[in-house]
Amino acid sequence: MSRQSKNIIIGILFLLTAAFTVRKATPVYFETPAGWPKAHYDFSKNKLTEEGFELGRHLFYDPILSKDSTISCASCHLQATAFAHVDHALSHGIEGKIGTRNSLSLVNLAWSENFMWDGGVNHLDMQPLNPITSPVEMNESLDHVVTKIRKSKKYTHLFDAAFGDPEITGQRVLKALSQFEVMLVSANSKYDKVMRNEAQFSQAEQNGYQLFKINCASCHTEPLFTNNHFEYNGLSVDSTLNDSGRMKITNNDNDYLRFKVPTLRNVQFSFPYMHDGRYKNLTEVIKHYNNIPNNKLLPKQLGVAMNLSDNDRVDLVSFLKTLTDNEFLFNPRFSFPRE
Amino acid sequence: MSKVAWLSVIFSFFFFQFVLAQEKKDSIGARFQISFRNDPLQLNKSYISDAKDTLKISTLRFYISGMKVEYTDATVTSPKKKYALLDIENPATLQIPIAANSNKKISKITFNIGVDSLMSVSGAMRGDLDASNGMYWAWQSGYINMKIEGTSKSCKTRKNEFQFHIGGYLKPNYAMRTITVAPHKSDLIIVVDVAELFSKINLSETNSIMIPGAKAMEIADYASKMFRVE
Repeated sequence: MSRQSKNIIIGILFLLTAAFTVRKATPVYFETPAGWPKAHYDFSKNKLTEEGFELGRHLFYDPILSKDSTISCASCHLQATAFAHVDHALSHGIEGKIGTRNSLSLVNLAWSENFMWDGGVNHLDMQPLNPITSPVEMNESLDHVVTKIRKSKKYTHLFDAAFGDPEITGQRVLKALSQFEVMLVSANSKYDKVMRNEAQFSQAEQNGYQLFKINCASCHTEPLFTNNHFEYNGLSVDSTLNDSGRMKITNNDNDYLRFKVPTLRNVQFSFPYMHDGRYKNLTEVIKHYNNIPNNKLLPKQLGVAMNLSDNDRVDLVSFLKTLTDNEFLFNPRFSFPRE
Repeated sequence: MSKVAWLSVIFSFFFFQFVLAQEKKDSIGARFQISFRNDPLQLNKSYISDAKDTLKISTLRFYISGMKVEYTDATVTSPKKKYALLDIENPATLQIPIAANSNKKISKITFNIGVDSLMSVSGAMRGDLDASNGMYWAWQSGYINMKIEGTSKSCKTRKNEFQFHIGGYLKPNYAMRTITVAPHKSDLIIVVDVAELFSKINLSETNSIMIPGAKAMEIADYASKMFRVE
């Protein structure tokens, strides 16, 4: 056999091997911070990979999800503000239309059992259907999002890398978004470092932490700073919205005015506060809890007035600021993907 | 053309005939025949219901899941496709292949109208269960078991539209329905008589149900009465 034909045969064999080699995506290990409960998200049904995460990140920042390509997930969930919508009491979407609730921050979602202020969504994968189809958010359909993405060369490559073939389906769009979102873990604030004996609270922070444990922790339970329940926190009804909260989902009178207990992680930057964004800063929030007018719906934990002194209020805010995780807020892995 | 070529053409003709015939004979499937009383239902055609409403149907889609076929010898088989989305606009979806044919006689077929609670809480699914089919609720998770939309002069709504999106997986409003039919013919034609449903609904009063709840449960009950075998 001549040398040339040998080379050709070797070349063909090489191409065949290359063609039949399964391109494996790079697995990502989901780390549970020490002392935290087990994550609720079922990773066995959505194997995390570097490529899946990257695809989800591209989708998260892409306004292609909205009808007129103006709104992306990041429009209402900005990284630097704990993935919430800063300065907007009620989030706005397509054509400047205004919704009825304040966008929640996106953090430690792998531990959440349900989503939205009323808990209407039972699985992280299905949450994006809400903003995508809402007429005041993205006003799109998942079906049409898939059609648009299929025409994009960039996404053909990204889906191929993430799933081993370039097929683009609604399921894959949703699973990829979940892959990005579950990685948004914040567990390295000053509070966490103190708990790990790597740092120390100042005296004010320490006092604030004591006050927090007495007055706030029954709902904002450590380490996630939420008990994942729905509670009524004594807010009066905004008659322009008449939002009945959890009751809208369950039809149960007991759920009237109950809303999800939001996490307090990075709370310093997720203003404004409450489901309708009525409080601009943490001082206003604490003033609300400090003296709630009694009413029969009020849960017993809130029935006793906190009666914090001005100094105590300042200390409590100091503690809440120790929940700020700069590494999370400025992690380049979570930011707009540069191509 | 040479003799050999002719022969091979003839041979392949018979061969494919044979294969096709085999396929027809060798598999059984359920065929859902969507009707209004005794005629096949036509989209956007005017019908008069027993409740005296003049109505036109524009959309009819529903899930059939967990089908089980029981033979007279008590053996049971199930179709490969566990969850099927049937859409009147796409006739291919109205057939669900069940199993290879056998001489055994079918005694009954059991199936669900809708999707069970497990699938409703397990995240993004593929194929017929993919949320891009528009059969999954956004604001309150769960599959829409059945969508029936259309128009009727009886509805004092925008453009006289009526919309029934029936679903719900949480008790006490679990809207999936399980029914059993006993075919007495070998061809498994399951009639879905839409007239049955509209005989129970007064469209001037009930014309928009798109959330889980007591009303959806009621419509789900009526809808299950649409299914029968000839």
